Amino acid sequence: MFARPARFAILWLCLVVLGAGYLGLEAWRGIPFRTDLLSLLPADAAERDQHRLTQRLTDEVSHQFVLLVGDADRATARAAAAAFEQALTESQQATLTKADAGVLKAIGAFYLPHLRSLLSNADRIALMAGQGESIAQRALAQIYGVGGFADAKLLAVDPFLLFPAFLTQLPAPLSHLALDDGRLSVQADGKTWILLAGSLRDDPYALDPQERFTNLVDQIAAAQPASVTVKRAGAVFFAREGARSGLSETSTLGTLATLGTILLLVGAFLRVGPLVMNLLAVAVGIGTGLATNLLIFGEIHIATLLFGVGLTGVAVDYGIHYSASVFDPAAPSPWARMRHVFPGIFLGLLTTLIGYAILLLAPFPALRQVAIFSITGLVGSFLTVAFWFPSVDRGQRPMHSDRLLRWANGFWHVWEAPRLRRLCWIALALLAVLAALGLSRMSVDDNVRRMQSLSPSLLEEQADIERLAGTSGTLQFILIDAGTDEAALQSGEALRPILDDLARQGILTASRGPADFVPSLARQRENRILVAEALDAPYRATHLAQLGLTQVEANAGQAPLTLDQALQSGALPFLQQWVLGPGQQVVALDGLDEVAALRAAVKDVPHVRVLDPAGDFSERLGTYRHRALWLIGLSAVLMVIPLAWRYGLKGGLIVLLPPVAALILAPSLIALTGEGISFFHVMGLILVLAIGVDYATFCAESDAAHRPVTMLAVLLDMATTLLSFGLLAFSSVFAVHAFGLTMLLGITIAFLLAPIAGDVNPRRRIS
Amino acid sequence: MRIGLTAALVLVVLTGAAWAEGIKALSASDILRGRFVQERHLAGFAAPLKSEGSFLLAPAEGLVWQAEKPFAVTTVMTRNGLAQQSNGATTLNLPASRAPFMAGLYETLSGALAGDWHALEKDFTVVKSGDDAAWTLLLTPKQAANADMPIAAIKIAGAQYVERVEITKSGGDQDVLTFLEQSVSQAPLSAAEQNLLKGAGQP
Repeated sequence: MFARPARFAILWLCLVVLGAGYLGLEAWRGIPFRTDLLSLLPADAAERDQHRLTQRLTDEVSHQFVLLVGDADRATARAAAAAFEQALTESQQATLTKADAGVLKAIGAFYLPHLRSLLSNADRIALMAGQGESIAQRALAQIYGVGGFADAKLLAVDPFLLFPAFLTQLPAPLSHLALDDGRLSVQADGKTWILLAGSLRDDPYALDPQERFTNLVDQIAAAQPASVTVKRAGAVFFAREGARSGLSETSTLGTLATLGTILLLVGAFLRVGPLVMNLLAVAVGIGTGLATNLLIFGEIHIATLLFGVGLTGVAVDYGIHYSASVFDPAAPSPWARMRHVFPGIFLGLLTTLIGYAILLLAPFPALRQVAIFSITGLVGSFLTVAFWFPSVDRGQRPMHSDRLLRWANGFWHVWEAPRLRRLCWIALALLAVLAALGLSRMSVDDNVRRMQSLSPSLLEEQADIERLAGTSGTLQFILIDAGTDEAALQSGEALRPILDDLARQGILTASRGPADFVPSLARQRENRILVAEALDAPYRATHLAQLGLTQVEANAGQAPLTLDQALQSGALPFLQQWVLGPGQQVVALDGLDEVAALRAAVKDVPHVRVLDPAGDFSERLGTYRHRALWLIGLSAVLMVIPLAWRYGLKGGLIVLLPPVAALILAPSLIALTGEGISFFHVMGLILVLAIGVDYATFCAESDAAHRPVTMLAVLLDMATTLLSFGLLAFSSVFAVHAFGLTMLLGITIAFLLAPIAGDVNPRRRIS
Repeated sequence: MRIGLTAALVLVVLTGAAWAEGIKALSASDILRGRFVQERHLAGFAAPLKSEGSFLLAPAEGLVWQAEKPFAVTTVMTRNGLAQQSNGATTLNLPASRAPFMAGLYETLSGALAGDWHALEKDFTVVKSGDDAAWTLLLTPKQAANADMPIAAIKIAGAQYVERVEITKSGGDQDVLTFLEQSVSQAPLSAAEQNLLKGAGQP
């Protein structure tokens, strides 16, 4: 391979140029980035059905948004609402929900032919308890009283006024709002608030439409008089805010990491050459990974990019390992130095590739993307290091080399001096005790709500909307999957008293589903019989006589009502959201506090399941945390194969000892702080293993004479890794922090223990 | 939905007297009391439904409408909603949010009491005839085609106070209200009256 290295270098250059051209073309067309966490979910057969339904519901909800426009002056508020409506409609980015008086009228007209089958819950209960007289009394009061129910046409078909009672008890989704001249409004806090609700046309998690929509809303808001307040709720705003704050934090941590790395490398080599070369190697690696991913998947998830870049960044180890060979007192030519470090970095590459390839086995589409990205990226970086570095390297041995080497060797020396060595083992024993303590206290934390940090000001706006309007859109549901509509509606009716009870206990604030609007046929039959037997038979004649009502239409409103009629009428548009298919319905829940209490309360209702997408996602993260741990274990075992080939079985196991110790110690120490171990900690461990094996391999490859150079190289490796990943421990996003903290501890431990592998000697030659 | 519509109109109309005469509207501390006779002419009914009783209007608080004959029904309407009691039991309690018309009309009313009649003129064409000693107002909705407007015409006649109101609904039904023994006082509301007003529309 190194007989004619220049040919390989040129061949690789051609490939890189081709790849760069492809990437340029893609970037010009706009690389499709995705940002939603839920699209990372696996296609697990057992969960697929539920996942599909959850996905559909969350999709629908995530497209929705609510704006509440308020001003002390009603006319100003209305003008602002009109401006929003016009601009949003004209932009074609969203469709707004119609809210005119016609909606209520249409609902009334739709129900009228079926009124004999409809009863409010309270009236049903009263009639079953034989309190028909109180209903007759109420009707008289309403007819004589000043309130204007007494419409002659209605009285002719509904002399007991059961129908208005049914209509007014229908659960309203926005219970605090009233229709004021075509606008849903509420008076509160000395202001008139007008609600605009709508649905986004494009994916709220795709960066581009997200930015366009939120910018448009900001622009319209800025164009309103200063007194106008605008409150926002909806996934799109949170996603945008998250992306923005993520970007700003990333740029702070990124700047620190970049500056630190520049200072470190330039300070160590007293030249910019190694820094530039290593940046080039990582850039080529990222480009390779990105290009391969786009070729295979046609899109890239932002999480793939983040983890992929991180995993590819391991290649810096190989580049720095080569660059640090310039400190070698023998100072051979660049190609001779490459030949010398090649076995070490090649083994490092091999073991790391094993670790990454294992990710392909994960039943987790995003992890597969990450694996493809990092495997190809790592190979790209490696080829760049192996063939380009010696070609372009013009470095001379720096003046301060001896001092640096002496200092770096100190980290190895502690393992060699007999007295210090004993201290080391005592320290190790102490660490082991700490680890045991940590292991015994280890807890897990997969709560997805804690993984992302939501913008506090948006949360406040959302809470305001909930307070002022009654709700801001729900993400929690009960799923009814009963086979037939009739059975599903009956389950919904069985849920009603339970949910009302929970609402009284404060476990949820409100709930509504198809059965509230369309009673089951069985319930309709019951209602007709109940009215005939408990109301009409004993009281109707007296009631009509008392009113002097002679023209009645006793046979009107007899037709039974079916769910299909309701869906097709268009009078109840929200039903479409709740009816997923024949026999599949959802009940939407507002302000659910305790999912467990709800689950327990509804467990005896047939065909019913509580869906809590965030909770389910947390559960899934737990499953993947578990699986990822097994995969790490498996890859550690597989790494034994190349290591045993090179160092013998015993030697291979000793080389694996430092990284495995880091794997166990890092999470144990984190557990001591009380932090629960999450999926993202485990993602960090994947890197700790890959990088830890590199360090140990470099030490094992080193003969006694090269120990100081090797140790210096590993020291520089570690410092750059900590700068790029360890800093993430200070992120405010829990997922990122978890990943960073694991790296910080794991890499430090893997570095400190790496010299243990130094006693091992290669048995076979490479290249 | 027409809940509370008549009630709100009564409020508007009763206070409308002040406007017709061009004198000051009821102030927030004024309380108007009197008796009423209400006749509902409904299609399909042998005879009009006649009820009578007393009323109380406190501009800042709301309206209490107490029918005594043919049986006792108390209707209370406030900014928060509408409640009806009969035989000591609440037979109806509607928060304003459930009766969208009420909120809007109540706002019109508050405006009217403050001397701002533009809201009423926005929805109705107002024709005045007669003199201050005996005047008549004819209100016709500006958007007769609007299906949500259940009123065809309102005729109000009065002198110092409103004396007779005829509300003709678009369906042909007619309510005729006659007001008697009216007086304005500044005495505070009794505790019972305050309780009634407080309870309307509360869950």
